[in-house]
Amino acid sequence: MRTAGQGVRKRSDGELLRMDDLRVYFGHRKAPVRAVDGVSLSLMRGESVGLVGESGCGKTTLGRAIMRLVDVEDGRILFGGYDITTLKGGDLKAFRKQVQMIFQDPYGSLNARIPVGRAIEEVLYVHKKGDRAQRHKRAAELFESVGLDSEYLDRYPHEFSGGQRQRIGIARAMAVDPKLIIADEPVSALDVSVQVQILNLLRDLQEKMGLSYLFVAHDLAVVRYVCDRIMVMYLGRIVESGRAERIYSFPSHPYTEALLSAVPDVGKGLKARREGRGDRIVLKGDVPSPIRRIPGCPFHPRCHRVRDKCRTDVPALREVSPGQWSACHYAEEILESSRDSGRPAQA
Amino acid sequence: MTEQKNNTLIEVEDLRVYFGTPEDPVRAVDGVGFTIRRGETVALVGESGCGKSVTALALARLVPEPPGFYAGGRVLYEGRDVLGMKPRPLKQMRGNDISYIFQDPTASLNPVFKIGYQIGESLRLHRKGVHVRKETLDLLRLVGIPDPEQRMYAYPHELSGGMQQRAMIAMALACRPKLLVADEPTTALDVTIQAQILELLGSLQQQLGMAVLLITHNLGLVAGVAHRINVMYAGRVVESGLTEEVLSRPRHPYTKGLLEAVPQLEGVEGKLRGIEGSVPNPRALPSGCTFHPRCPYRRDICRAQEPADEQVEEGRYSRCHFWREL
Repeated sequence: MRTAGQGVRKRSDGELLRMDDLRVYFGHRKAPVRAVDGVSLSLMRGESVGLVGESGCGKTTLGRAIMRLVDVEDGRILFGGYDITTLKGGDLKAFRKQVQMIFQDPYGSLNARIPVGRAIEEVLYVHKKGDRAQRHKRAAELFESVGLDSEYLDRYPHEFSGGQRQRIGIARAMAVDPKLIIADEPVSALDVSVQVQILNLLRDLQEKMGLSYLFVAHDLAVVRYVCDRIMVMYLGRIVESGRAERIYSFPSHPYTEALLSAVPDVGKGLKARREGRGDRIVLKGDVPSPIRRIPGCPFHPRCHRVRDKCRTDVPALREVSPGQWSACHYAEEILESSRDSGRPAQA
Repeated sequence: MTEQKNNTLIEVEDLRVYFGTPEDPVRAVDGVGFTIRRGETVALVGESGCGKSVTALALARLVPEPPGFYAGGRVLYEGRDVLGMKPRPLKQMRGNDISYIFQDPTASLNPVFKIGYQIGESLRLHRKGVHVRKETLDLLRLVGIPDPEQRMYAYPHELSGGMQQRAMIAMALACRPKLLVADEPTTALDVTIQAQILELLGSLQQQLGMAVLLITHNLGLVAGVAHRINVMYAGRVVESGLTEEVLSRPRHPYTKGLLEAVPQLEGVEGKLRGIEGSVPNPRALPSGCTFHPRCPYRRDICRAQEPADEQVEEGRYSRCHFWREL
């Protein structure tokens, strides 16, 4: 079993990305949408971290903030030890060479009117790598490295299937030898049988190139397959973080609990059927709007474990067991109960 | 025998729905057969382009003609031939006996009409004489929309995705249909909202005793909800049977591959295998068994000869030459 990419971590030499109390706001100053509301994280070289949450929780914005595609309101981002929060011009471009992005919709992220080979060469051109012939050669290599035939370089995006297009997106991201790849829901638009192919490709590339991933996704099972560490986001904040196998077996935040129990899973489904009704936790209500400030714990209106304290006191993110952080007043209790019931009962 | 007959709500026999011209058709659905009994949940599982949605639409003869046409087979609803029905009884049946909910509620709701009006529409059409406002409020309450008195005057964009899907369900249930066809009902929703909608569908089904045809690509969803499952590939049902049987002991390499392709919450040892290649183009289907180019168990016969729909055991079928060896 691949335990937290140990082999990969040996190669690593410290922190690649660090974020301190990052805030990204949108809209009007008087009533801003707090898309990212004080997130701190750190990512090691060669590590892959999963960012999990529902739509509107700020996970995509967080990824875009690292790329400096949105303006940061407050806080700072360090990449390889350098503050990149306010980089401009040539410095920003040089930095972006080290961080690349893969998007959810491989069709929307490729220009329909230029051949895919040229789309890859364009990245090299922008970053001034090689002459025309070299760029062409490099594009062919990249194409092969993601499992596509370089004969197809002259074709247009519509001539490829969804999975192939996603491979092209990956090849393009790899073109400038980045250190970090931000993958924003890279497989959620793909068919099940194709998803695994892409996930396996991402894992292979990581092993070969020592890449780091920030893997943004809503599918917990997919994240588990790729990531060493998980961060769960809710309304612009991290509510739980830690090693994947730890969190999935012993969640310490009610939101994580609910997310895990809501995932439709073959094994779980069959078990629930055998034993009558399952013990699924169904949350009340919708994800609230990030415009309105919720007093106390932001999750309390939907929480199945809510108590009086949650309505008034904001819980801080604290370490509740070695390496596991939770923003719940009653994290210890939840850990206790999941240990007792042994609910997911594997690790 | 007679009892069993009465129990059957819908029977699909060798259904063929093609698109394009009869000379050079795209065989979207090519010989699909299954039955749905009263009150049960049947799943139609497959990847995009396998024909599952077209099959679902054909149940109420809703495939647009042209470009589609029914090239063969029958759909029997309570013994009546749907494909041969006259327009009037067909209209009577649609929305009244069989109703649909789709993946994307924003695309199915009309943005310029209020929710309440849209729900009332089928009441006005099918159930003459009911108190529309009262019935609409009851429906909104039934699907768990809070403040129905206010929400019925909301436009679709004023509701969240989950609430829109609830409104769609209310609309579909307005005439107490005997069959609800749910085409990827939760795919566009967040995980926690998915759980809410599934819970709601389950409880409504018990309350109203309707049958549900669940169309999805998500085997996890099927495992928890459906009684029986039909796995579709390239326009055919390649394996069918009780959910528990099919998912724990698959008798077709495609089902097996799908199961092995899904990452599990518990994590997996080593690498997932998945299925090589991708879904074939329906314009150029492979010879013999349409799955053979992607099948790890293929042999010469698979290329040459199409496997028959063989019975594995009572109520359990597989379209694979080598199901015994799986």
